[in-house]
Amino acid sequence: MNHRTAVTVEHISKSYGSFQAVSDLSFEVFTGEIFALLGPNGAGKSTTIRMILDILKPDAGRIAVLGAPLNDQAKDRIGYLPEERGLYRGVPVLEMMVYLGSLKGMSASAARRGSMALLERLELAEHARKKVSELSKGMQQKVQFAVTVLHDPDLIIIDEPFSGLDPVNTLVVKDLLLDFARRGKGVIMSTHLMHQIEEMADRLLMIDKGRQALYGTVEEVRQGFALPAVRVEGKGDWASIKAVDHVEMPENGRGEVVLYLKSNATPDMVLGEIASRPDLFIRSFELAVPSLSEIFVSVVQNRPNGKGNGNA
Amino acid sequence: MSRDFWVVFRYELRRNARRIGYLFTSFALPILLIVGLFAYQSILARDLAAQDPQEMAEAVSETFGGDLTAAGFVDFSGLIQAVPDDAADFMRRYDTVEAGEAALAAGEIQVFYIVQADYLETGRIEIVQPTFGLGQLMEQPIVSLLMDAITENVEGDRRFRLLDPSNTTFTNLQLTTLGEGSSDELEGGAFLMVYVFAITLVMSLFMTNGYMMQTVIEEKETRLVEILIATVKPGDLLGGKILAMGLLGLFQVVAWVATLFAAVALAGGSGLADTVGLIGTLANIQISPSILPVLLAYFVLAYLLFAGFYAIISAISNSMREGPQYAVIFTIPAMLPLYFIPAFTTDPNGTLPTILSLVPITAPMAMIQRLAVTSVPPLEILISLALLVVTVVAVMWLAGRIFRVGVLLAGNMPKLRDIPRLVRG
Repeated sequence: MNHRTAVTVEHISKSYGSFQAVSDLSFEVFTGEIFALLGPNGAGKSTTIRMILDILKPDAGRIAVLGAPLNDQAKDRIGYLPEERGLYRGVPVLEMMVYLGSLKGMSASAARRGSMALLERLELAEHARKKVSELSKGMQQKVQFAVTVLHDPDLIIIDEPFSGLDPVNTLVVKDLLLDFARRGKGVIMSTHLMHQIEEMADRLLMIDKGRQALYGTVEEVRQGFALPAVRVEGKGDWASIKAVDHVEMPENGRGEVVLYLKSNATPDMVLGEIASRPDLFIRSFELAVPSLSEIFVSVVQNRPNGKGNGNA
Repeated sequence: MSRDFWVVFRYELRRNARRIGYLFTSFALPILLIVGLFAYQSILARDLAAQDPQEMAEAVSETFGGDLTAAGFVDFSGLIQAVPDDAADFMRRYDTVEAGEAALAAGEIQVFYIVQADYLETGRIEIVQPTFGLGQLMEQPIVSLLMDAITENVEGDRRFRLLDPSNTTFTNLQLTTLGEGSSDELEGGAFLMVYVFAITLVMSLFMTNGYMMQTVIEEKETRLVEILIATVKPGDLLGGKILAMGLLGLFQVVAWVATLFAAVALAGGSGLADTVGLIGTLANIQISPSILPVLLAYFVLAYLLFAGFYAIISAISNSMREGPQYAVIFTIPAMLPLYFIPAFTTDPNGTLPTILSLVPITAPMAMIQRLAVTSVPPLEILISLALLVVTVVAVMWLAGRIFRVGVLLAGNMPKLRDIPRLVRG
């Protein structure tokens, strides 16, 4: 991964009257990575994004985008798709894309060519001359995505990228975002779809009440919440294993058991004993690491103590 | 001006110039109005030419007697020898007041006229009604009858002139005209021109700024605005829209005036101008070149002032329904001078017209009205323009500040106490 920074945020704060929307928040986003921004509703994600884009000014702190405080040239290198988004309803798709592309510094002809290429890829080429209002909601979502990436930005900031898309189109958009990251672009993705973060994101930042709750690579964050246990699927008297303290059987219908380890035992010791004993049979064995979704719920429900590792 | 400003300008110009509403009001509406005016004036001219004095008198009688089904009179002056046959059913003669009042009480007639014996010397006529009714409170039916009787022996044009003695135009020694001449026709034309200009200004201002408000509110409603201002500075976005709509407004005025002048030229060519009063008057208008820049300055400044107001409204409105409702706060005061037309025509340099022509929001309408009918001291024009310029700059600055944050607002309208926060951004 190329670790040039696409965005540097240092100790930013923002309040609306007496409401503290963002408080002393710092993080970095690298080029070539997909960076997930998550948090409960009203946590301060949109305010943070708006400050990165210079739509709102922070009360304190500093933000650098693509190597410098945001300027007009840098703005042309950003593609932004907010959560609440729309298009001119009475305007033909291609005309609107050319207009928005021109605002990003593209010539009309380049914007037209680029728009058609993207519409082809998103299987919307035949609708290029239709008015936006004539398209289905899913098609409009794809057009919005196309507008965001039309000018081949170096930094993409996208809020709920899969909202309103069917599984096939979700896959198309997902591939496009991964492709952008592979080509060295920075992608900031805000979403509540935890499995998408687990599948796509390199690193994440979780904000809660305007403050950093979790920050690091997806793996680091999950490991930070790992239990002293292993999750096993199979047959046998699990409690008879020397390194196991006690056994839990989650009611998830998958026949799994969670083996909690004694204080100085390791997962390797459990696996070794299972392998050496013919009365124990396993189909799967993994560390008992919670899903991001479980971590998210845990952090939100266990405020103010659920801080995660916070130091990754 | 930045690149984005011009991109927004070009796009808004193209998009709004294709609006059906804009095309209709710019081209079709003035043509329809002119055609309607021609048709009306032509019919009127033909009717006037066709009528002889007797028919004219009867027409007047019929016109004014229209609300009545029957009236009665007693003539003590002895002037009315006979009632024309076709009016006999309507105007019934009685020999005594008692007979007439009995007919009135019986509902046979709705009004009863008593022509006094000394009518010729004093003109005294008494009108008797069973109950008070404004619709029947009219003396014309009996006057027409008396006029017919009095002018019975007068011939031709003299009789017609007696029945319609004057075709009045008013001359005020204070008055100047927009043109070089001083004929009554020209003066009337100048006065008319100012109202054409004032109405044009109002229509154009409200229509084009209304479009601007629509585009901003549409961008707010669809939340496209967030994508836009992540790229374009709010000032460039607003400025590009304002310039585009301003040009469309100006073009609309030019189209209207061109249509009017085309109509005038057409009227002159066909000879109608000599017979059709209004078109004939317009044909003689020559706007003084010295007035044009002043009119243009007021047009541009008024447009910018209202563009600022509309921008503020659109930034804090959440729907197409809300915007126009709040726009009234500014449009009603702006049209105030049109409500005080008598003050401008009788004493254009009086206190009220002078104050209204200095207050920035009323200045464009007020000063244009004054310029049409009198010579305004140049210093007053300069002060008025200077105050307007200062206000325009202040409103534009305020609009830019409120627009920046206001366009991101969704949900409830901001309260008055929120305004300072919006201004601070």
